[in-house]
Amino acid sequence: MNPGDFDYVRNFVRDQAAIVLEPGKEYLVESRLQTLVRKEKLGSLDELISRLRADPKNGLHRKVLDAMTTNETLFFRDVHPFEALRKSILPELMARRAKERQLRFWCGAASTGQEPYSVLMLIAEHFPELLGWDFTFVATDLCSEVLARARSGRFNQLEVNRGLPASLLAKYFVPQGAEWEFREALRRRVEFRELNLVKAWPWLPGLDLVFLRNVMIYFDVQAKKAILANVRRLLRPGGYLLLGGAETTFNVDDAFERVAFDKTSCYRVKPA
Amino acid sequence: MIDLDRLIEQANELTPLPATTVRLTELVGRPDCDLEDVAELIAFDQALTVKLLRAANSAASGSAAPVGTVKEAVARMGTACVLTLAVASSARPLLQARVPAYGLDEGALWRHSVAAAVAAETVPAFCRLDVPPETFTAALLHDVGKLVMGRFLSPEILGFIQRAQEVDHLAQLEAESLLLNVHHGELGGIIAQHWKLPPRVVLGITYHHNPDQGLDLICDLTYLTNEVAKRIEAGLDGREFEFAISGQVAERLGLTPTTLDNLCPVAASRYTQVCGRYNAV
Repeated sequence: MNPGDFDYVRNFVRDQAAIVLEPGKEYLVESRLQTLVRKEKLGSLDELISRLRADPKNGLHRKVLDAMTTNETLFFRDVHPFEALRKSILPELMARRAKERQLRFWCGAASTGQEPYSVLMLIAEHFPELLGWDFTFVATDLCSEVLARARSGRFNQLEVNRGLPASLLAKYFVPQGAEWEFREALRRRVEFRELNLVKAWPWLPGLDLVFLRNVMIYFDVQAKKAILANVRRLLRPGGYLLLGGAETTFNVDDAFERVAFDKTSCYRVKPA
Repeated sequence: MIDLDRLIEQANELTPLPATTVRLTELVGRPDCDLEDVAELIAFDQALTVKLLRAANSAASGSAAPVGTVKEAVARMGTACVLTLAVASSARPLLQARVPAYGLDEGALWRHSVAAAVAAETVPAFCRLDVPPETFTAALLHDVGKLVMGRFLSPEILGFIQRAQEVDHLAQLEAESLLLNVHHGELGGIIAQHWKLPPRVVLGITYHHNPDQGLDLICDLTYLTNEVAKRIEAGLDGREFEFAISGQVAERLGLTPTTLDNLCPVAASRYTQVCGRYNAV
């Protein structure tokens, strides 16, 4: 891939999604875009880039953005945050909101749906009464293709092998040919919508629990600051923010404080 | 980059393991495993019976008194050795194959698999934990995913993997995950499921490079056996090899650097002995 083409793609993904691609990542851009070249039945990567440069409205830009988004995810990723949810966070939030019986969750990088579905399984297993509350769970992602898969609730054998205990697979999934489908009754409790974290967030309600795990690592500091400021604005009193294991609010937005649990930590807005 | 559905399909198309081997793996994995049940199961498999009696009466088994029955052979060799023999004979034809995408000549994957299996047999003497009996099977088959994965790794993909390793200092498995959204451990897990092997064997194979994610002792053990196998092979080839076990795994298994230094020569010696028996090298 020539330097000019690489710069074109990396500037585009930085401007549109604040995704940072350092020099040296040509192999990543090339490998991801080669797949798109084949899907679009184009002759070469050069042809793809020429089309991108020639016409900003041919729909290819959106597909490039989707292709360059890392969608790595798995069920019950890192385990310990889910233990903290079960042992501490959900009981605390439910006690806090017992009067109005209302909770609002948001997962901001839902990818193919494993994270919101893991949370729903945890709720169904340990806090089934919550499903009778005024409970909403919005799950968003930048990539429309992965959101379509998330909505379908269908996972292949590789995906269900990643972090999903066999007992939960048997209880919450229905075999559909070579795939497994998350049961509809729980699946419809999540509303999947498209949202670019570095653009406007027009329709999110006040939130009790925010999952932004393993997505901030892709952004530059400016984008991280803007995202955390938005989260701070939306979190209701006592609400929690969950980040990935390698992510922190420290030195990015000091209005948050770290709350340690057994083997993990979460964040909430410091009391005024 | 690759068609994951096709990859899974090919993993599920590998020739199944013989029913006796699968049943034996389940049986030996049970806490209440009975020697008579094992002998009875083997007695119905003529080919395995012949192999077992031959192995029990071989010079390498170290006894002068000949063994005449399956039950005596099982008693003399122990259930772990019997399982070794059954799984090794079933998997050997498959694991002998060349896998050029991983730089493996004919027989190289098999030799590495045997070294890991031998390490699995050696570990219990150096580890205070109860080593699950499924560890041997997981160790022997830990790289089986490479057989199918290798078919999909075109020169173009291999080039990207190599660049990911050079530029971002990623391990082979991390580069596979980043670029292909699957790695050979996961694919091996799918093959083990297709073969109806016990869930713990599936776990050990799946997480043999990233045991922290497996949350089961067998993942740590399979990881260890793979590392010991690399050291054994390097030692035999006179190559330099940096033997570095993950600190977390060593801690969970209660292994010190000294224990590991003692374990490797014992495993290497046993490997040479076993290779003689199975004519693996």
